[in-house]
Amino acid sequence: MSAPPLLSIRGLSKIFDEVPVVDRINIEVAQGEIVMIVGPSGAGKSTLLRCINRIEIPSEGDVLLAGVNMAGESRNGKLAADPPSATARKRRRIGMVFQRFNLFAHLTALDNVAIGPRRVLGAKLSEARALAAEQLARVRLSDHVLKRPAQLSGGQQQRVAIARAMAMRPVLLLFDEPTSALDPELVGEVLEVIRSLAEEGMTMLVVTHEMQFAREVGTRMLFMDQGRILEDAAPKAFFADPQHVRAREFLRRVHATAPA
Amino acid sequence: MGGFDWSAITYAVPYMLRGAVVTIEISFCAMLLATLVGLLLGLVSASRLGVLKGVVRVYVYFVRGTPALVQVFLVYFALPRIGLELSAFASGVVALAFNSAGFIAEIVRAGLQSIDTGQSEAALSIGMTERQSILFILLPQSLRRITPPLTNEAITLVKTSSLLSVISISELTRSAQVIVAKRFAPFELYSALAVYYLVMISALSWCSEYVEKRLA
Repeated sequence: MSAPPLLSIRGLSKIFDEVPVVDRINIEVAQGEIVMIVGPSGAGKSTLLRCINRIEIPSEGDVLLAGVNMAGESRNGKLAADPPSATARKRRRIGMVFQRFNLFAHLTALDNVAIGPRRVLGAKLSEARALAAEQLARVRLSDHVLKRPAQLSGGQQQRVAIARAMAMRPVLLLFDEPTSALDPELVGEVLEVIRSLAEEGMTMLVVTHEMQFAREVGTRMLFMDQGRILEDAAPKAFFADPQHVRAREFLRRVHATAPA
Repeated sequence: MGGFDWSAITYAVPYMLRGAVVTIEISFCAMLLATLVGLLLGLVSASRLGVLKGVVRVYVYFVRGTPALVQVFLVYFALPRIGLELSAFASGVVALAFNSAGFIAEIVRAGLQSIDTGQSEAALSIGMTERQSILFILLPQSLRRITPPLTNEAITLVKTSSLLSVISISELTRSAQVIVAKRFAPFELYSALAVYYLVMISALSWCSEYVEKRLA
């Protein structure tokens, strides 16, 4: 028997006010894949990510992480819903990076990263901070460990947020438009960090509007529109010859506005 | 229009000082109790504990919708019925705290809910439970925001404590009333009473401004 895929999404839907924002989506993601999710705004990309770690509770369907259902335990063929504490435990294995960083405003960069290991994993404060310092060094922020989020640039904040996610030693990282709230000159430093994580073999799903980056770093492209995945292809194939008409339109619009 | 009877005031000052001490003691104890209870109730109403939340909502609805005077009477007469024979002082504390905790619960709930939802989403995303998210992320951030309304509530509580005169606690207002009955100088004595409250409230406001500055 072969190992289950790292992430398996089956028939996933999220319905808001009778509108399916995510509409019966099926994806399997293997260990080490770097999946870039693109599409027009309102396509359901963010909601899909948020359903994976249950920040948003899906209306239908299953999400399995390494074969473990994120929603509950299977007993006699029926799914018994998890208590909140079990959901929290399962979430630890999935890191998430948000568009608006969402750093804890009252904590220093160091404690933003340390609080997960400290409070969730029960590490000693000194150990948690040592681990946090290590993670911050990886995103090249060793000089800023004692600053509050408000004292950091957007790019620095987002790198702290990545370190915070990595400190939990996740098996999967979700990026929800990680550079969309950044000034143009700060986009590069964040993309660099994501690229280096990709090179280390981290499995990740990245919702992004950075097409150049998606093409270079992604191992797989998903194109979403109106809650459906219309295209699932290798980056080369996707950019060279998109199959679906809406994907072609989307790429044409993106290219029309992108710098040469 | 007669002259201002200063002798009534000089007579009253030491008595009223004793009353003021009782008012301060009672207000302090009540504020402590109300803050603890109110904080707890506020945390519950910001959580997802459905049934408990409903109970808190009914409690807040009652406290807001009935006069403090009625609440003081209710607590004073209800406690013995459920077998709690408390001293006048203790029932005064409970009555005041009963009233104030309802408002503090609302202050705390509003404070927690004013924090950007991204903060609790980030907390959940690193595997925190909702309780941890409220305790370690939302509550520390809301403390600064809830300090001003909380000190307002403390001021209201000190003023509300004057209602305890109706259950024969010899606090400040009651002590003034007793002397009014003896000396028939209501204008003078109620003026003095107002000054007493003004001094106490001013001290409280000054403290709260100091705390706010320290938190800012």
